[in-house]
Amino acid sequence: MRFSEADGRKVVSTSTATTIAKVAGFAVDPSTQQVVALHLKKTHGDADTVLWSALTAFGVDAVTVPGPDAFVLAEGETAVLLDKHHSVKGKRVLTEGGDDLGKVEDVEFDAETGSVTLLITKTAEIAGKRLTGVGSYAVVVRRA
Amino acid sequence: MIVLMRAREIMKRPVVTLAGEDIAEIKDIIYAGEAGEVAGFTLNGRGLLAGPLKTALPWSAVHGLGRDAVMVTGEDVLEERTAVVERSARSGAGGDVLGSRVLTDSGTDLGEIVDVILSVGERADVVGYEIDSSEALGKDGRKVLIPLPDALSVSGEALMVPAAAVEFVTDDLSGFGAAVDAFRARLRETEGSASPAPRGTA
Repeated sequence: MRFSEADGRKVVSTSTATTIAKVAGFAVDPSTQQVVALHLKKTHGDADTVLWSALTAFGVDAVTVPGPDAFVLAEGETAVLLDKHHSVKGKRVLTEGGDDLGKVEDVEFDAETGSVTLLITKTAEIAGKRLTGVGSYAVVVRRA
Repeated sequence: MIVLMRAREIMKRPVVTLAGEDIAEIKDIIYAGEAGEVAGFTLNGRGLLAGPLKTALPWSAVHGLGRDAVMVTGEDVLEERTAVVERSARSGAGGDVLGSRVLTDSGTDLGEIVDVILSVGERADVVGYEIDSSEALGKDGRKVLIPLPDALSVSGEALMVPAAAVEFVTDDLSGFGAAVDAFRARLRETEGSASPAPRGTA
């Protein structure tokens, strides 16, 4: 699944079968190359983050969670990864050798595990496991 | 892998950590040794209002020097600027050569230095200069690249190269690496013939 498809997807409670939020962003941990949390919009209340580990499923039509209790306020490392300066999409990709590979136009991830599988730029598709840094200036990837 | 670069292209290039944060940009190159080895870089802060930093980036801490950025493992690799500059105090070929004239050892003025050509791999060395060529080179005053010997003598006024360098001038970076190698090979040959081993003295 790609970020572009998953963005805006409804988040449904399995206990009430109602939509309780929408997906608004993704936190990617470069050390594990995993989506570790989702940023949410249209929640009731301040808690606007759900950790990947708290999801019931990332489905084709909806993201399911047990209920609104799964939502939290982002803290620590997760909060940093979720802030707009650390979004992967739209960021320039630099190799560890210092060459620019273009801007990330989309990200493909495994909906089962949250693993980032591909970074997609205009000219290249870069294996997710090469990801080594997600900073405010650039996304850094290891040599192929 | 060895890549040839113009020193001016490296100026202003951002210094980026492997975590993806830009922590500085290259201000200038610190040269050391007779071969014009790159010892490190002085730095400016990032942003319009940022000025020179008190820290510098030693060459040993450069993780990657690419077309678009200078990569480092983290901000902690930066050192006090004075420490990096002092270590390279015996400064040689590189330095402040922009604007100097290039003279051959046979006394011909080849032109004015407008840029420094670096060979970048595990080390980074000065291998040539870009010059605004004089009439003597017959290049209609165009910019050309001239290879340098392994070690050379420089004064603030001029820089002297062996006359044979003229035969290895190229118009652009493609092919310049081969020209440098061929030029240096020629110099080693002529050195050999100019000072033959003593024989028949016994």
